[in-house]
Amino acid sequence: MKKLSLFTICLIILVGSWVFLRFVVGGIISVPIPGSVIAMYMGLIIIAILVHISVEDSLFREFRRPILETLVEDKRRPHRRVLVVLIPLLLLGYTYSIIAQRANPPGSPRDAHPSPPLELTYKNEVIGTMQDVVNPFRHYEKDDPEAFKAHVENGRRVYHQNCFYCHGDDLDGQGHFAPYLQPLPANFQDPGIIPNFQESFFFWRIAKGGPGLPAAGTPWDSAMPIWEDTLTKDEIWDVILFLSDYTGYQFRTFGEAH
Amino acid sequence: MRIRTVALLLTLFGILVVFNFVHAQNAPEASEKGKEVYENSCAHCHGTEGRGDGSAAENLLPKPRDFTRGLYKIRSTGTGELPTDQDLFDIITEGMPGSSMPGWETALSANDRWEVVAYIKTFYDGFKEAEAPPKQINLSGKVPYSEQSVETGKALYTELGCVECHGNIGRGDGTSAPDLTDEWGFQSWPANLTQGWNFRGGSDTEAIFKRFIGGLAGSAMPAFEGDTFPGFGLTAEESNRMLELDNKDEMTAAEEEESGQLYEKYDAAVDIALNLAEGTELSAEEKQIYDDAMKVVYEKSWHLANYVKSLMPEKRPEPAIGNNVLRSQYLQGALPAIDDAAWETFEARYFPLVGQVVIEPRQFNPTLDGVHVKSFYNDTEVAFLFIWDDRTHTTDETDEETGKTVEDALAVQFPVKIPQGPTAPKPYFLGGGRLPVYLWHWKASAPDQVTELTAKGINNAEVQEAQGELQAQGTYTNGQYKLWVKRALKTDDKKDLQLEPGVFVPIAFSAWDGANGDVDTKRVMTSWYTFVLEPVPSSKRFIYPPLIALLSVGFLFGLRAFVLRKNSEEA
Repeated sequence: MKKLSLFTICLIILVGSWVFLRFVVGGIISVPIPGSVIAMYMGLIIIAILVHISVEDSLFREFRRPILETLVEDKRRPHRRVLVVLIPLLLLGYTYSIIAQRANPPGSPRDAHPSPPLELTYKNEVIGTMQDVVNPFRHYEKDDPEAFKAHVENGRRVYHQNCFYCHGDDLDGQGHFAPYLQPLPANFQDPGIIPNFQESFFFWRIAKGGPGLPAAGTPWDSAMPIWEDTLTKDEIWDVILFLSDYTGYQFRTFGEAH
Repeated sequence: MRIRTVALLLTLFGILVVFNFVHAQNAPEASEKGKEVYENSCAHCHGTEGRGDGSAAENLLPKPRDFTRGLYKIRSTGTGELPTDQDLFDIITEGMPGSSMPGWETALSANDRWEVVAYIKTFYDGFKEAEAPPKQINLSGKVPYSEQSVETGKALYTELGCVECHGNIGRGDGTSAPDLTDEWGFQSWPANLTQGWNFRGGSDTEAIFKRFIGGLAGSAMPAFEGDTFPGFGLTAEESNRMLELDNKDEMTAAEEEESGQLYEKYDAAVDIALNLAEGTELSAEEKQIYDDAMKVVYEKSWHLANYVKSLMPEKRPEPAIGNNVLRSQYLQGALPAIDDAAWETFEARYFPLVGQVVIEPRQFNPTLDGVHVKSFYNDTEVAFLFIWDDRTHTTDETDEETGKTVEDALAVQFPVKIPQGPTAPKPYFLGGGRLPVYLWHWKASAPDQVTELTAKGINNAEVQEAQGELQAQGTYTNGQYKLWVKRALKTDDKKDLQLEPGVFVPIAFSAWDGANGDVDTKRVMTSWYTFVLEPVPSSKRFIYPPLIALLSVGFLFGLRAFVLRKNSEEA
């Protein structure tokens, strides 16, 4: 077998790396890499190749030999003819695709955890400071399991009369309205949701809904209702008990805060 | 050693197959475990006693299934039969599209789902009392999909009376559609056959065929058999002839006799079917007549299933986000009118609707699926075509429950000022009042008129004093609304949205189905999407690429000349 020329080897390395990054990692292993990162890697590889061939004169001469041969020698005339058509065509296609590219709609960055106000209110009544308010029925969990169960059951009723359309039967944010809402409804089965918040935070989000998001909480298109218009204070606390009871996750409590 | 390994693997494989086979057929004995899973995951809709009266049921339509009557819509079994365990398991696993029943595949383990199947069966004694397993529908005579089969099915669609409920071309807009109720007296809308993604038991041809033969127990959809099947007991030719004779104004004596004979044959077959349904033992001759009749029913049902399949797209369209964003196409000259063929040249964008559950009164059970939108613009104007399916044409009726006047309507919503940059807040429209929105409100009672409004929140809309030069035209045909709206790109009114090519504009919709009680905030809606007047591509695209190609050719030749000269110098 004929030994591959240095130029061919470099070309194979270059094309091979691109295919590997774009299709093997991005497609088969399915960890899509952003185009800019691929461009960066390719830049590094090109620099490495340039460094390698310019270390010694002999290497550089060997590298450029096939290029020069293709340019001038008679036996390479067929190659030359193909390349003189192919290279301009590729450039033509590439520049056209860049110029004719359609603009895409702007993305909407999201503040997933907006900061709550200092005071927790229900309608206009102040309940207390956000940090200190606790669920008034939470203590039944230890003191009176029967009463606790009754509150959880009431929370279950409230949930399934109001919330499951979006947040789902399994509290996984996949209710039957959910796929067509942006942003998607919260998924309470996500281990990053309930354990990261105090119950008072949930009360705030439930009571004030999407319209009650602070000015920094862009982009304003949450479909979460203002539940204080519909639910009583106790119903909101009960549904919060149900959320943690059904999922098995504990809300963050003051004192555990880091 | 190797043989032993292979044998061991084969045995393991065999055990797995047998285990799966056995498991796929029958649920385990009802147990405490099943009760526990049921009460935690199902009872809130279906009720602790299985009567379909859980706390959520009140707000739901279709209602959650009442398990105590043994009536199941989605079965692989014949009419009057109970479902198989596998049928129940599949429904729990996959859910009921178009209703509030979700699939439980990820939320419950297969084992738990089987336990629930066993527990659900305890609500109806018929399962225990059944002597033989339910008779499954034979799918072996499947007629493959073809143009011809679709044509045959199309003729049957009219002949069998499907039109009465499902409408002329299947949009669920038949004349009796609004009056249908189920066994429990609840409203039961006929399926829109063009929206296969809302079919409760799936929309492949086999599934559709099973619904024909087995019926949708408890609903208004009949099973194809006996007196519910026109021409039962007749061959395809005979029933065609019967229809032909029926349609004649005058019959000759011979024709009258022929018609009489056909009716006799038909009545006899129907009687046999009715006897069979009552449990009467059939004679061999009767059984032959019945089997022959059912053979015809099966074949016709396959044709009809192929026709229904032809009415729907492969799957639900993708919502108009990302690559599917709504792009208004540039045209030189006049914009097309509502029925212009130019609208057919590209596909509409799809904006799925959901119930408005934020502000009272709320809509928990939407009957409108989505709005399809197309748009053209020229140098001065923009035209939109909004298309949506609605089973009923309601223009001015009084809702029985609320006493309010209801009618079908559509509202298109834009911001007054386009948010600059992705982080700029969009106007909020449900209850909030941060930034105003600009609305086009169209009502079915005045189909050629669109009103411009400015709103700050869902209950805070004002009709604009200056109504611009907005042209509109609305039509309703075969269960589908089309609304055409044209407006100038720029107006003098500061409360109007001003449009410019290349700028992404937020857009949202609200729609009202009067027959579903939609009025005021009780409606269906979309969240914010965007659309753009697609800029005319820059003419630079015809200049730079050829220029660069030419330059590269020049470069290549130059390089060759350079090398040649250098070589000759060296030589």
